[in-house]
Amino acid sequence: MGYTVSVRLSGYRNLVLSRLGQGVLVIFLAYVLSFIVVSVLPGDAITNALHDPQSGLSEEDIARIVAFYGLDKPVLIQLLLALGRFVTGDLGISLQSGLPVTDLVFDALPSTTFLALTALILALVLAVAIAVGVHLLPSGAAGILRSVPSFFLSVPNFVIGLVLISVFGFTLHTFTITEPNAPVATFFAALTLAIPVSAPLAEVLISSLDVEARQDYALVARSRGLSRVNVFAQHLLKPSALPSVTMVALLIGELLGGAVITETIFGRNGVGTLVQRSVGAGDQPVLLAVVVLSAVVFVLVNLIADLSVPLLDPRTSVTKKKKAVVS
Amino acid sequence: MNSPIVKRRSFLTGTGALAALAILTACGNKPDVESTGSTSPVRGGALTFLIQGFDAGWISSKTSISSYEGNLWGHLTDKLVYVNEKGDVNPWIAESWDENSDATEFVLHLKKGVTFSDGTAVDAKAVVENINAWAVGDADRGIAKVGLFPSASFESAKATDAATVKVRFSSSTLGFIATLGYHGCILLAPATLKSSTEEQADLAKNIGSGPFMLKSWQQGESYVLQRREDYAWGPKALGYSGPAYLDTLTYKVVRDASVRTSTVLSGQADVSFNVEPQEIDSLISQGFSVSTPRYLGFVDGFQVNTQTFPTNQASVRQALQHGIDRQEILSTIYTQDWQAASTFIQGTVPEAGDFADHFNFDLKKATDGLEKDGWTLESDGFRHKDGKLLEITIAANPYVPSDKAMDELIAQQLQRVGIKLNLKVIDVANYSAWQNNEPPLLHTSRSFVDVGTVAGILTNRNGGEDWFKLGDSDEKLNKLSDQIAQAKNRKDRAKVANELQKYVLDQAYFIPLVQLVQRLYLSSPKVQGIQYNGLAYANFYTAWVTQ
Repeated sequence: MGYTVSVRLSGYRNLVLSRLGQGVLVIFLAYVLSFIVVSVLPGDAITNALHDPQSGLSEEDIARIVAFYGLDKPVLIQLLLALGRFVTGDLGISLQSGLPVTDLVFDALPSTTFLALTALILALVLAVAIAVGVHLLPSGAAGILRSVPSFFLSVPNFVIGLVLISVFGFTLHTFTITEPNAPVATFFAALTLAIPVSAPLAEVLISSLDVEARQDYALVARSRGLSRVNVFAQHLLKPSALPSVTMVALLIGELLGGAVITETIFGRNGVGTLVQRSVGAGDQPVLLAVVVLSAVVFVLVNLIADLSVPLLDPRTSVTKKKKAVVS
Repeated sequence: MNSPIVKRRSFLTGTGALAALAILTACGNKPDVESTGSTSPVRGGALTFLIQGFDAGWISSKTSISSYEGNLWGHLTDKLVYVNEKGDVNPWIAESWDENSDATEFVLHLKKGVTFSDGTAVDAKAVVENINAWAVGDADRGIAKVGLFPSASFESAKATDAATVKVRFSSSTLGFIATLGYHGCILLAPATLKSSTEEQADLAKNIGSGPFMLKSWQQGESYVLQRREDYAWGPKALGYSGPAYLDTLTYKVVRDASVRTSTVLSGQADVSFNVEPQEIDSLISQGFSVSTPRYLGFVDGFQVNTQTFPTNQASVRQALQHGIDRQEILSTIYTQDWQAASTFIQGTVPEAGDFADHFNFDLKKATDGLEKDGWTLESDGFRHKDGKLLEITIAANPYVPSDKAMDELIAQQLQRVGIKLNLKVIDVANYSAWQNNEPPLLHTSRSFVDVGTVAGILTNRNGGEDWFKLGDSDEKLNKLSDQIAQAKNRKDRAKVANELQKYVLDQAYFIPLVQLVQRLYLSSPKVQGIQYNGLAYANFYTAWVTQ
């Protein structure tokens, strides 16, 4: 027994280390790749701003300013310089606004984090409510409920956002657009984000509940005289939740992507709007910082998901070899 | 799974369509229109202005000329002179000025007792430092000069006493005084000018002498300005010079145009920047006002590249000049707030002439010229010559929201002439690359405060921008440009400016479309007293809010 535990532990440690290594590699590659993509795009924030037909600056004036920002150097040199700064934690200066990138990101981060977490909780509540409803309601109502996730997926979230703003913001005056960070305004922004995100989650929950409900143990439990609700709560819910853990990790990407639109419509300043304006302007340092930040979040969340699944479910990979020997 | 790409694309087109929905829902509660009876200013109150963003930041040399940041700069800072919407130059911080007979030396007499909000004086020394920054900039510190400043002939600026500044130019520079009222020429405290670009990027470190000062700001979200109680130097031309009436002026960033409009309609904000032309009638009928000030500058139109196919051929240029029905454009795309172009500069510029007959719509003239030149109509409905199709690709100016719709109509009109117009949509980020491509036709949006600017733009002389790619090959254009640049008095210059306008239109170097309205303002009936300067910026210094 002691031997088994130590094998499991060292196996688990190896898993953690290899996943961490992969994570660092992913972040590095994300940085280099996005650097190259941004460099290939025409223009940069400085050149774009100075070329505004209003500015009336000559090509020579523009060239001197561009040189001040080091944008006239070959892309490879720029990449090496940027990497050198990045390793020491210096994210540089926004080419568009001249502000330190760290300040811009940390200004935007709390708002987006709060929005995404609220949206995630709302999405989970919605998904669980739909899945539970599908399994416990009579078949007619359940059938209708079953189609709700596809409906949620097919409505673009800007439509949801504009409708919520029109009804609750402008007609019922539940919140004001000019105070985007107030709790009620945040709730509706989060709901906008949560509705499409809840759909795939609900689908996964419903289908794994379907699978588990057909398993022998569920039949046995029913035959022991347990009610549908009891079987559901005591036997089906836990195993069905496992695929959802992986799903939640994947949906973090959806939440970050959806934040661009949701924040734009609700007038919030967050990572989404930061991305939007730096893409538009070609503000490379800010874009790189946000890409790295997203990569870190994505890697971390998936790491947590990967590492927690083996702990929750003893059947998964790490212990497989051992099990094979035993059987 | 969701397809984010489709979602984002439909987002762009969809928001426009949904604006209607948002407006309809918002109509439910009309603001109290009856309360607008008061005509005398009310002190106190807060005004909220919604804008799509202040993305370019606060390095003044980069953003004081911006359509967005320029709004806020105008309230934090003052200028030496005030140029009104008719192009008249009025005293402001410069109380009066003298110029010598050949317009090479100017003496500015400054108003006394003016201070920046950090307490330092707006004296001759400070003004000299500002003029140097506008004229020369400091490229090695990443600070650009002001593009429109007559730098080529600038020699020196000197303080002769605490309230007098003498500025010298190497040749006649009639436009100098007017340029001081340009939105790039804002007065900043010497400490701000000396600071690094990184420090200047922090709005709080930009110290001006304007009627408002910064109270707080949240990058990308809200910017709160508060009245300066000791302000007493507003331009006389505005009819008031004391402290602003408003307690606070708050800029809020709301990126979506339909949400901005609906927010004002629902009474949650007072003014919103930029609405779609087609919404104007409905907004006005609901008791709101929409201002469409025109800035001094060029009209919306095409500058023509005379060196590239097919606009290197005179017959094609003439066909474009006479094949576009500008009346139809006005009545289809715009409301009565837009005006027909009478030349290639805006009607508000004092030197603008009425030369509409030089580019009148004349389908026969357009097609006859092409026919004579060997462009024959073929079965595809378009003209060909030497096996080449007569086609031109144009891109809507991303700085002018209504250009896209206008281009679609022009494409239909030119089809009647046999010219195939391909339309491209390009965002701001990629527009400079498009400009650098030197396309046959390029949409122009450019403001200026003095007609002398025109002389420095059209050819490549005096470091000019060579708009028509003629270099210095057109003798007559060179001569006219030089005469404008070297003119010693405004009367002679106006005469030459008229000659130049006729010549450029006759050669179809520039194809005017409509007088340009680039900045639109939707305001609630509660807001009174907004004034607009010659660059079409709203001034809330004299505005007040009725309760």
